[in-house]
Amino acid sequence: MHNILIIAKREYLERVRSRSFMIMTLFIPVLMFGVTVVPTLLMVRGGNESKRMVVAAADRDTAEMIRSRIEQEQEKAGSPDAPKTARRGLPLTNFTVEVSTNTAAEERTALTARINQKQLDAFLWATPDAIAARKIDFVTRDTSSFIENGVLGQIVSDALRRHALKTKGLKEDDIEAALQPVEVEPMSPLGKNAPNPQTMFIATLGIVMVMYMTVLLYGINVMRSILEEKTSRIMEVMLSTASAKEMMAGKILGVGAVGLTQVGIWAATAVAFVGSATASAGMIKSVKAALNPQLLIYFVVFFLLGYVLYSTLCAAVGSMVNSEQEAQQMQFLVMMPMILAVIFITNIFQHPNSPIAVFGSLFPFTAPLVMFSRVAMQPDTSPWQIALSIALMLATIYGMVLLCARIYRVGILMYGKKPNLPEIMKWIKYA
Amino acid sequence: MQTIELSKVRKSYDQFVAVNDLSFSIEQGGVFGLLGPNGAGKTSTIRMMIGITVPDSGQINLFGKPFERKSLNKVGYLPEERGLYKKMKIIEQLIFLGELHGMQAAAARQKAMEWCKRLEIDAWMLKKVEELSKGMQQKIQFIAALLHDPDFIIMDEPFFGLDPVNATLLKDVMLDLKKQGKTILFSTHRMDQVEKLCDSICLINKGNAVLQGELKSIKSGYGKSNVQIEYEGNGNFLENNPLVGAYNNYGNYVEIKLAPGADPQKLLNMVAEHSRVNRFELMEPSLEEIFINTVSKSNA
Repeated sequence: MHNILIIAKREYLERVRSRSFMIMTLFIPVLMFGVTVVPTLLMVRGGNESKRMVVAAADRDTAEMIRSRIEQEQEKAGSPDAPKTARRGLPLTNFTVEVSTNTAAEERTALTARINQKQLDAFLWATPDAIAARKIDFVTRDTSSFIENGVLGQIVSDALRRHALKTKGLKEDDIEAALQPVEVEPMSPLGKNAPNPQTMFIATLGIVMVMYMTVLLYGINVMRSILEEKTSRIMEVMLSTASAKEMMAGKILGVGAVGLTQVGIWAATAVAFVGSATASAGMIKSVKAALNPQLLIYFVVFFLLGYVLYSTLCAAVGSMVNSEQEAQQMQFLVMMPMILAVIFITNIFQHPNSPIAVFGSLFPFTAPLVMFSRVAMQPDTSPWQIALSIALMLATIYGMVLLCARIYRVGILMYGKKPNLPEIMKWIKYA
Repeated sequence: MQTIELSKVRKSYDQFVAVNDLSFSIEQGGVFGLLGPNGAGKTSTIRMMIGITVPDSGQINLFGKPFERKSLNKVGYLPEERGLYKKMKIIEQLIFLGELHGMQAAAARQKAMEWCKRLEIDAWMLKKVEELSKGMQQKIQFIAALLHDPDFIIMDEPFFGLDPVNATLLKDVMLDLKKQGKTILFSTHRMDQVEKLCDSICLINKGNAVLQGELKSIKSGYGKSNVQIEYEGNGNFLENNPLVGAYNNYGNYVEIKLAPGADPQKLLNMVAEHSRVNRFELMEPSLEEIFINTVSKSNA
């Protein structure tokens, strides 16, 4: 035990003092901010350009209705105090709409020619036939802006509905009232205090990604540092006083403590940031909601279990290989279950009790991410499943530590070619 | 007391027998040479002595007791594969290794500074290992093995890669340790470097002990059959001489292995007839010669 602590202490101090630790601690939050917030900001800003568009319909009333709806939506989206629910998806590009009642085939050819000559950006071909078929052509060079085009589809449908109701003789107010959208608000049976599910979704996704990246990063760190010790041949000096098991345990403990320190720094920064921020921006609110103590405890538990499990595997791999290249090939195989878990994670968020989610939360190699997600998304996840998941992970860790320690013990003294499976089986059997 | 005692120790990897029923022991205060060509099983034997691997059969007693990990705090090991943490400062590295051997950090620091001074590298203590020359790294490694004042010191190829000045420096340290009553084991295939230090040896080849015992009695068993002559004049006497078994001529200095049963006195007379003799010395064979002889015999 004494030796484990000495080895862990060295590992911890050497890493925390290193420049790369400081860089990673700063860089990852910046990266996370970069990949989540910046594109959102850019997407919102993208709507500022102004474009010309022609709405062609057989009767002026229909065309005017479509135009006024588009203009109303643009106005609503543009005003800063617009309620969020009023915005359907993302704001529309700023269109200047002209109306045309000419629906002859030649006119369509002429409009297309204008688009090709860049005198016009788009036209909507709302002929009576098209309206009857419920399929209107929207000719534009930006066919790839599918989100915007989807929003436009909703607006046009809305306009046509209004027009139909108006021709049936309904009054403007009645139409407005009938078409007012209704919001369905999900409510946990635990009552009003439960956090907003949408908020939880974003916050949990963030935390799960942090867990995934940290386990991945520090697992690989364990692998690389064992490989480094192997290539620098310090192993034998250490082995003359510490056992292979002590060396492996010390390494995993030390590197894990570095990981916790790093996550701790991020969490503390986040708490400080949230605490000082008075703004009610969505991001901050969601972080606040996610930072409840119970969830943090689960985070630490599942992070530690996941980390120990994967770093033990990584330690065995690190002891087997002889070069960075070999290590990289192997690390992908080792990390495969974690990567799969991340691919399925949003599905699990939405269906926390589906068979795949239950299986994933009990299978020890995906359990850290999946069980944590279930607990976060659904606070009333049955306790016996949580207990079983933790118990299965502990049992797997115990078995893996025994197995990997045997591989490690032999592997660190073997140089030369990468061992194949039968050779590894032999190592495990050595006394 | 025997510092270490191996009896019928055996280790095999698959079909390959690395160490075959090897037995030897080292008296406390003794300097022992574990000799053998590359791949003879020296390192495998040492690894079993300090519990890195476990023998398939046989018994190893360390400090008079069956092997236990606790005893390792009194053992210093300089492995053949030298290695240090490249990015760590010398002093921190030594403290770390000292602590692993059961020392307090403060005591380890104290000792490390003393040793660095003695081996003339105290100016480098705050440097990282990667900034040091190979020879200096060797010295650090040497200190790491001796820092905790072990009673039993194992040195695998201790002089490998050292220049003559440093080799002498380390040899003096070893002699000093011997004087202090430490037990030392040298493992090497470079006989000339340990010949003057060892009391007894065990020569192993392909996992088997082929020659062991006190160095003096082994040598005298081979008799004085070697002659060194420094002469002036011509060296014709070497050709077609029934007294000369084999020779190595350096111009005015020659090493001769006498033919079996040849009388060295006759040779002296013969040489004196033709040339001027400055020195004529009858010698025991060198350990290297015995080594080569024995190994090639056991390989035959």
